[in-house]
Amino acid sequence: MNRRFFLHRGALAVAGTTMMPNFLVRGVLAQSAVPPGQRLVVIFQRGAADGLNVVVPYREKNYYKMRPSIAIPESQVLDLDGFFGLHPSLAPFKPLYDQGQLAIVHACGSPDMSRSHFDAQDYMESGTPGVKSTEDGWLNRALQAEDVVHRCAGTCEAHSAFRALALGADVPRTLAGKVPAIAISNVNTFSVAGRGPAPSPAANAFEAMYAGSGDRIFHAAGDETFEAVKMLRDANPAQYAPAPGANYPNSEFGNNMKQIAQLLKANLGVEAAFTDVTGWDTHQNQGGVNGQLANRLSDLSASIAAFWRDMGDNAGSVTLVTMSEFGRTARENGTAGTDHGHANAMFVLGGPVKGGKVYGKWPGLENEQLNEGRDLALTTDYRQVLGEVVTHSLGAENLEMVFPGAQLSRAGFLRLV
Amino acid sequence: MQALRDAMAIALCWSLCFPAPLGLAQEAAADQAPTQTRHRPEYHSGQLSGDERILHALNRFTFGPRPGDLEAVRQMGLDKWFEQQLHPAGIDEADLNVRLAQYPAMQWSVQDLLFRMPSPAIIRQAIDGKVQIPSHGTLHAVYENQIYRLQLKKAAQAEKKNAANAAPAPAANSGTADGGGMNMSGNPNISASAMDANATQPANAYASAQPASAMQGDMNAAAPANATTPANTMVPAEPGAIAGQPLVDQGMIAGILALVPEERVRRLQAMQPEEFEAFIKSLKPVQRAALQAGLSPDLRESLDDLEAPEQTAVQELFAERLARDIYANAQLQEVMTDFWLNHFNIYLRKNEQMPYYLVSYERDVIRPLALGKFEDLLEAVAHSPAMLIYLDNAQSMGPDSMAAERNAMNAARRPGAKKQAPEGLNENYARELMELHTVGVNGGYAQADVTQVARVLTGWTVDRPQFGGGYIFAAPRHEPGKKIVMGEKFKENGEMEGRELLHFLATRPATAQFISRKLAIRFVGDDPPQALVDRMAKSYLSSGGDIPAVLRTLYHSPEFWAASDFRSKVKTPLEFVVSAARASNADIQNYQPLVNALRQMGMPLYGCIPPVGYKWDAADWVSTGALVDRMNFALSLAANRFPGITVVWAPELDVNTLMNDTKSQQVIPTPESEETRLEAMLVAGGVSGATRAAALEQFEAQSAGAPGAVTTVANSSPTLDAQPPGRPSGRDGAFRMGHLGPNRAPAADAYEREDQLLAGLLLGSPEFQRR
Repeated sequence: MNRRFFLHRGALAVAGTTMMPNFLVRGVLAQSAVPPGQRLVVIFQRGAADGLNVVVPYREKNYYKMRPSIAIPESQVLDLDGFFGLHPSLAPFKPLYDQGQLAIVHACGSPDMSRSHFDAQDYMESGTPGVKSTEDGWLNRALQAEDVVHRCAGTCEAHSAFRALALGADVPRTLAGKVPAIAISNVNTFSVAGRGPAPSPAANAFEAMYAGSGDRIFHAAGDETFEAVKMLRDANPAQYAPAPGANYPNSEFGNNMKQIAQLLKANLGVEAAFTDVTGWDTHQNQGGVNGQLANRLSDLSASIAAFWRDMGDNAGSVTLVTMSEFGRTARENGTAGTDHGHANAMFVLGGPVKGGKVYGKWPGLENEQLNEGRDLALTTDYRQVLGEVVTHSLGAENLEMVFPGAQLSRAGFLRLV
Repeated sequence: MQALRDAMAIALCWSLCFPAPLGLAQEAAADQAPTQTRHRPEYHSGQLSGDERILHALNRFTFGPRPGDLEAVRQMGLDKWFEQQLHPAGIDEADLNVRLAQYPAMQWSVQDLLFRMPSPAIIRQAIDGKVQIPSHGTLHAVYENQIYRLQLKKAAQAEKKNAANAAPAPAANSGTADGGGMNMSGNPNISASAMDANATQPANAYASAQPASAMQGDMNAAAPANATTPANTMVPAEPGAIAGQPLVDQGMIAGILALVPEERVRRLQAMQPEEFEAFIKSLKPVQRAALQAGLSPDLRESLDDLEAPEQTAVQELFAERLARDIYANAQLQEVMTDFWLNHFNIYLRKNEQMPYYLVSYERDVIRPLALGKFEDLLEAVAHSPAMLIYLDNAQSMGPDSMAAERNAMNAARRPGAKKQAPEGLNENYARELMELHTVGVNGGYAQADVTQVARVLTGWTVDRPQFGGGYIFAAPRHEPGKKIVMGEKFKENGEMEGRELLHFLATRPATAQFISRKLAIRFVGDDPPQALVDRMAKSYLSSGGDIPAVLRTLYHSPEFWAASDFRSKVKTPLEFVVSAARASNADIQNYQPLVNALRQMGMPLYGCIPPVGYKWDAADWVSTGALVDRMNFALSLAANRFPGITVVWAPELDVNTLMNDTKSQQVIPTPESEETRLEAMLVAGGVSGATRAAALEQFEAQSAGAPGAVTTVANSSPTLDAQPPGRPSGRDGAFRMGHLGPNRAPAADAYEREDQLLAGLLLGSPEFQRR
């Protein structure tokens, strides 16, 4: 247990907190009101999910007119509030919504008009729509903002190597930045030179090499790496069995969610976890009640619901949020699919969340209400949602630091957390 | 500050006086390099000399030294070597050319490549009758196989849909309530058979279980392959183990495998798609190897084409690039090709044609001009279909152009007609042309200039991009009228406006600064001295943007040779992987393990989505996950655990002589002597005492508890952790084996295994992570 938390000695890690301009430090002296041990899980739906078929505005006549072959019939939606209904494949979400843990924000997204996947993902992840020169991601800055608060309060704690965690091959844009982040594609193979109960000779040799190195950056990275490997070995991931009833789909996303639950439950000091789920770019044969999109939604909701059940008593300290780079056209296209659009729907799930409600101003789906005559118009900037979430889950207070230029204010919060 | 300088001077002195602790000097340097931003020591205070100078040049101007490179450059003279690298035309590439001959398709035009190794988009069009299917021969089979696969996939989707849809109501109903009794709890078993009574394909279940290989590399397919478990993507995950698949007669398989190569491939080409699919899926790995044995490059390509055409093109694109990085003698040309490919970044999965266009982009646009004039390169990139598509200029249309007016008139005439996608100005390329390609983000332009540049470049588009067409200037799409960019007037002149604009941008002082700084970051340090950048920018302007002139200025600047910069740059994943392959003299027939490793390490080839490209500085490439990957890659490469990659560590060691001829003059290797030999071979500039001790200590520790340790007399007995128990290990073990029996292979094996571990540790050491 004494290994669980340790100091970062690396130049990169140190840079994360010393580069802060003084005026920012002074500006955030307010005490953090966030209870300790809050964790944030961020899920990126890459490819642009079709929000209008995910959270269906089934009372909109024009919805059915514009989508003759892919609309979800009123009789099939899982009604939420008499106006919106969930896609039937999101059935695992329904109890979470009814219990008040799952909130939805509709007509939400990035205000940038780009319909390019890579630009829009980049903007969404950097948290600075329209600005390409931003080097770090919003979630990393949120952790930096948390550091500012804690440092000023004199409660600087050493951070775990698992503080900022990505399930995947590399650190995503969202988590890139000065706070060290760790990327793991598979907790069961995260080990040097084979995985046994004890480190192999090669692993020991590497550990000694990096520990003895005068190369400051690699010395620090080596420390963190071997600490993380040890922490993971002690947590013994091979022994892990999900809680009863937490039935993860056998999919890449389901597997990632299972591993996030595993790492959260192992108390490794994870504060922010990120993963993505793909396959949302449904240009053709998107399907309606069944089909491509339905399959993706089944995977999404079953994985998240399993994660939630798996977290059990720990769920109270977890907030989970989903996002996608943009929505899709309100009208179906000539190939029974949808093209790149604008606003979308986000899910926010968590212990502290005031769920059971669809948030956001609904712009309507009449032709003249559409964005550029083709997409769901945007009424809520996604940063407004994330700003509120990071304030409550990570205790990030300086929102200008997390989302520079967004001019977020607490007054503008949807009050969903 | 003074103390720091003194410490460096002392460290430098040490390194000159005592060859062994050379690493200390680099550690001191490495310590400072990443953190010094404001208070940099005077560069001329410590200059590299002798072999360190050569190693430094090899570290920076190549993808890392190969064994023998130091001696070769020493013999030729460093200055002469550098000049030769600047003018690569005369450099002998016999070895590389043999390797490149494995990929004949990489010489084809984009159109040919798309036609002969069709993309999924081409196959869909073939199904719709928009592309004519070749009537006979190899290509006929290629198309039929892909069409069959696509239909299987669709049938499987339909099956799944029907299975899930217990009620017979179609999904596409109007929004009103459809009768009661509809809910989602339908038992899939009930409807599957009933709904698909007329399904004739026997292999639906198997189609849905198709390996992800066909999707591999898809923008959304983020399945990372483990670097240590080689994923040959051509091998199905579960050969022959798929339910519902018709069994293939083993006798028939054996018969086909026994055919001579040409007959073998011809036999597969003659198969009906169902037969081919069943055959290929039922092959065991060893049969798969037998199928590919002895094929000429053309036949191997034809075979791959029959199974997965698009994937074949992509894999060859990767292989060709890595082969050049690793084996080219004109290393600076490859380093600069990599530099420009990153500067003018393009993402492989922008659309389904992009992999094909990238073959030409690298081969015809970037590499030939990598050491030429910047303006020529900028022009070629601006005219390349790859860039025009990647940054959307191909779709951009002048709002007042003839084409726009025609569209408006058509729309007015037929108000009910199906609307086309809105067309107009697209600023994507215009912005990146200035921000990322030329003057830089602070280069003195505003949003209005971006719009003006976009107007200048309207009409620069691609002819029939779905078939791999080339650049055209579409005059009707061009915005009329004069434009003003950064105060410069461009009078209406069609395509010439764009050419004048490119000339204007290429000759800006801001561009000279931007390019020079980026080159200095690549070749010198993360935060290069401004004086050096200024000198390079001056060369740029006086030479008309001549890249060799700029590099020559860099080479002749004292800042480049600062002792504090020796091995100060952190290797990117590409530099790490390629330098490891070069240092170990690996013979590579299969590049997939390296491709997988790069993806795992977060630097997939042609895989950077945003136009800004990958970064060259340390902060992006040192992370916890990344280090695990590097160490495991080093161990796997050194221990020959990647299929199709062979490394031999002790070729010059004659084990027979060593064991049988006691009077041999050959020195019996010890762990220390082997470490010394491998260190000199692998790590330019050596490793620190700490690294060396850590590597050797593990041998000691291991030998004490190892089964073979009983045979140890004086020397320590290193052993690989993977070694099976009961086998003699270590030097003495290997040596004794020679006396114990006639079978000497295990003894040679033991030597090799020890070297493998040592080499793996050296390649994974902190010292090898820098260049």
